[in-house]
Amino acid sequence: MKQLRILSMAACAVGFGLLASCSDDPDPVVVPPNESGFVEVDGGGATYPNSVFVSLRSGKQTAVARGNWDLAFSTGSDFKVLINGTTGAMASATSKTDINAVGAAEIAAAEASGELIMSFTNLQGILHVDDAANPLSKPVVAAVSATDATNVVYLLSRGASGVEAKPWKKIRVIRKGEGYTLQHANADATTFSSLDITKDKDDSFVYVSFESGIVDVEPAKTEWDIQWTAGTASTPYPDAVNGTLAYFYQDLVYHNIYGGVSTVQVMEADIAYEDFMAEDAAGLTFDSSNRLAIGSSWRLGGGPTSQPAVKEDRYYIVKDSDANVYKVRFLSLTKDGERGKPSFEYELVDAGK
Amino acid sequence: MLVLALIGLGTSLGSFAQTVFKGKVVSDKGEAIPHATVWLADAKGKVADEQGRFELSEHPNGSKLKISAVGFETLLADWPAGKIEETFVLPQSTADLETVVVTGNFQPESAKNSVYQVRSIDQTVILNRAPQNIQQVLNTELGIRFNQDNATGGSNMELLGMSGQNIKILIDGVPMVGRQGTSNEINVNQIDINQIERIEIVEGPMSVVYGADALAGVINIITKTGSWEKLSLQAKIQEETVGSEYSPFSGEGTHMRTVSGTYGLGKWNFGAGFSQNNFGGWQGEETGREKEWLPKDQNFFNLKAGYTGQDFSLIYQTDYLNEDIYTAGPETRLEMIDHNFITNRWMHRLNGQWDLSSKFSLNGQGAFTDYKRDTETWVINVRTGERYPSQAPGAQSRIEYTGFSWRMMGMWKISPKLNLQPGLDINLEEGSGERITENEGIQDYAAFVSAEWRPIESIQIKPGLRKAYNSAYEAPDLLPSLNTKFGLGEKLDLRLAYAQGFRAPSIRELYFNFFDASHSITGNPDLKAETSHSVNGSLDWKSEIRSGWKVGAVLGAFYNDVDNKIAYGQDPDDIQVTTLFNIENYKTAGFTLNHTQSYKNWNGNLGVSYIGRYNQLSEEAQEVEEMSWTPELNANLTYLVQPWKTTFVLYYKLTGSLPGYQTITDSEGNPSAQEVQIDGYQWMDLSLRKEFKHGISVNAGVRNLFDVKQVSSTAGGETHGGGSSRPVGYGRSYFLGIQYQFNQ
Repeated sequence: MKQLRILSMAACAVGFGLLASCSDDPDPVVVPPNESGFVEVDGGGATYPNSVFVSLRSGKQTAVARGNWDLAFSTGSDFKVLINGTTGAMASATSKTDINAVGAAEIAAAEASGELIMSFTNLQGILHVDDAANPLSKPVVAAVSATDATNVVYLLSRGASGVEAKPWKKIRVIRKGEGYTLQHANADATTFSSLDITKDKDDSFVYVSFESGIVDVEPAKTEWDIQWTAGTASTPYPDAVNGTLAYFYQDLVYHNIYGGVSTVQVMEADIAYEDFMAEDAAGLTFDSSNRLAIGSSWRLGGGPTSQPAVKEDRYYIVKDSDANVYKVRFLSLTKDGERGKPSFEYELVDAGK
Repeated sequence: MLVLALIGLGTSLGSFAQTVFKGKVVSDKGEAIPHATVWLADAKGKVADEQGRFELSEHPNGSKLKISAVGFETLLADWPAGKIEETFVLPQSTADLETVVVTGNFQPESAKNSVYQVRSIDQTVILNRAPQNIQQVLNTELGIRFNQDNATGGSNMELLGMSGQNIKILIDGVPMVGRQGTSNEINVNQIDINQIERIEIVEGPMSVVYGADALAGVINIITKTGSWEKLSLQAKIQEETVGSEYSPFSGEGTHMRTVSGTYGLGKWNFGAGFSQNNFGGWQGEETGREKEWLPKDQNFFNLKAGYTGQDFSLIYQTDYLNEDIYTAGPETRLEMIDHNFITNRWMHRLNGQWDLSSKFSLNGQGAFTDYKRDTETWVINVRTGERYPSQAPGAQSRIEYTGFSWRMMGMWKISPKLNLQPGLDINLEEGSGERITENEGIQDYAAFVSAEWRPIESIQIKPGLRKAYNSAYEAPDLLPSLNTKFGLGEKLDLRLAYAQGFRAPSIRELYFNFFDASHSITGNPDLKAETSHSVNGSLDWKSEIRSGWKVGAVLGAFYNDVDNKIAYGQDPDDIQVTTLFNIENYKTAGFTLNHTQSYKNWNGNLGVSYIGRYNQLSEEAQEVEEMSWTPELNANLTYLVQPWKTTFVLYYKLTGSLPGYQTITDSEGNPSAQEVQIDGYQWMDLSLRKEFKHGISVNAGVRNLFDVKQVSSTAGGETHGGGSSRPVGYGRSYFLGIQYQFNQ
């Protein structure tokens, strides 16, 4: 199948004009049924506008603008809310439970400390973001309590990393039966709006935008395996709290830890990609709780003296929720030289259910 | 080569003789001194030919002849009565070489007479060392360090603890334009080494005369002037390994070729030159397609035409540079991205001098430079084998700077004890391109004046003042300087100077904007100039212990205090944005001691420096010392084996480790200062030059004998992870060159 794909590309590329028309193809993804695939991720370009969810089983990719949503409400048995790490959003707890009482004082304090700004100079930034590896394990917004009086108001920066900055919001989330009620307003407003959210068990999260209400972002829980996006992670930084700085990365790859997908990195030096067989997977320890297991480990970020590049010495084994085992290797950071349009290929090594 | 200033000796008495008087100028070893200048009483000069011969149509008749040549004591002599042929012996000057310098002065004068302490690296050094570029000459100089920028293939220079933005790079007195704009961080390696006659280095601010950026000092690159011969041709080929990488004549290694010629026709002089440097890059620890040092091809082309009349001379030169630096991207399974950084620079220069009367002369310099740097991005599809230009935004981009400068300087000899040098200076600059916001350019107009007063023969006092107007930034209102020189006897000179200097914000610092998902950087159009106060002094001692054995020593000290230093900080309106401010203070201080010895065919030099750089952190953290000091030591030795016509040269420098501080924060969030350092290293070049018959000479040698590649640095921890190591060289390299010189 892979061979076929290469042939078709070569056929495409006979002339430059032809090549251009190939890349204009609205659906450049060729999906050999279940066996293997070549995916040119529709990241949107050098400003990384999209988060892209990919299902290896179907080869389908879903691109969503990073700035389309603000909050993600967990549909699990817990009551947790995530902020939008893909825009670099940050939040601070206030001491108040009355949303209308939060305003100038809290804004002034946060502005003075710079705690809600994703920057090298915000040395406490890591305290104001969801855990990058497993956000539900340690979200910046405390788990929503059954006791309303303990659910405080949060000041929220909606993030300005590679997206247009929007005014700060204030939010308060309380339970409503098995769901949630979100109270939200502009940070300096004296009135607020409310929105009720019902958990949909087919999805991992219900996504909410302050402007559009409930929005579609992530495909159903079992309909995607890996997500490519720009987003908040962390970097060691001696100046910062705990030596860790909240840092915004391009080219992060998450696997769907809340949808039963697990992954493990394999070095070419141990088993070549071509030689990897179903039985080789047996001895590997798959990770199902750190969505940064792939993270940015697949590429070199580049620096003053080096270009960004895909690391060719490694590939990844991804086990989907149906226990299909795929080997996945990244090919490129670019499409026609443009960043934010990476590509990868994969092959099924062991069919599951 | 131009010669010493003239002083009239009296009035001509006329003559009745009909014969031609033939003279010859020789050294005390009996060797002919080519091109010595012979001044007659009526102040008209003659230049001796290659064999030191000159002719007079009439007898000087009682008035004295003044004969001077570079490297020799000036001789005042009578023409012996009744002789029509005579040989004049010039004793070698007390200094091992009577250096002639022009920087900061109206016209060339001996380094000993200049009120500025000028270091000069002359043609002999360049010939003996056969460098590929200026960096290879300067990197063994005291107080000069280079930071190799392997991402762009350039290098930035530091002088006496101050960064390249504070060093004014001039070519024949005209400011150069580079990728940061006029005179801001000029890459000295974008100059054809084959065109250079000598390099003059003046330490300390020269802003009164040269304006912006002459804060740490000035490096004035003097190009070759037309030869006296009717026709002169030079050609040279040099092959060099890059570490252990080499392939003959192309590809790996360094391949240099040059050809140039000059032609004299009456009062006119014409010249042309072409040079090519192909550097194959160096892979180092990179793998696959990538290289640590990027391959670089340079082509230089130069044309000039000059006119020298009785009281008027004019020379026009044009220089073209084409440079292509190539980066091959890392190997990938699908798409590889390569870049070419292509520089095209045209530089037109006009230099004129007009002696209006014996009391007043004018000197004008005009220059127009067009500097373009293109970034080309290429995509290579590994699976189809195609190579095509990337269409991504910003993938094909250009930065363009144009600079126009005009300098007019007068020399008014009011009396033998006093002269006045008024001047006008106009610099117009425009910059545009990717990430540089629309701007009106920078227009700078200045008037300056300096006076040189000699109350007695041994004392020179030169005060100066500059008044400037700048359209784009706040320039210092009035800049003063005071240079003095005291002759403390025959052998000892003391120089003391105070000056204010300034460095202009560059077009980039004013107007550069860069935003993407992880960068938010803007220029600040409200930046002011950095200003400095500087004092420096030097004691220069020269002596001849006995015939043929000469010693000299220069002890220097300096202190610079810079205000309004431009540094990155957070924009108060949007702290996510990084921009530039005039916030920091900076100081440098140091001592240098340089000792020279020459005995017969041996020439040696030993120097040490100890230079301190200010730690900004000392303002916040008590444990941080105010200054961090670093030592340097250099030595060189030249030995001429006369019978073989072979010169051996050795150049050595120890660059001491450079300490500094960075802040770290512990787990409780408490900041503290941590001492960091960049390691030192040793550098040695060894080479020989042998002259054969028929104008052929051969150079051979080893560069970087200690095989230095990089030095480690404990600083770092940031995302771009500067840390760990810094490139210095590409390992021990060998070279062999052959040169041909033809004169008619």
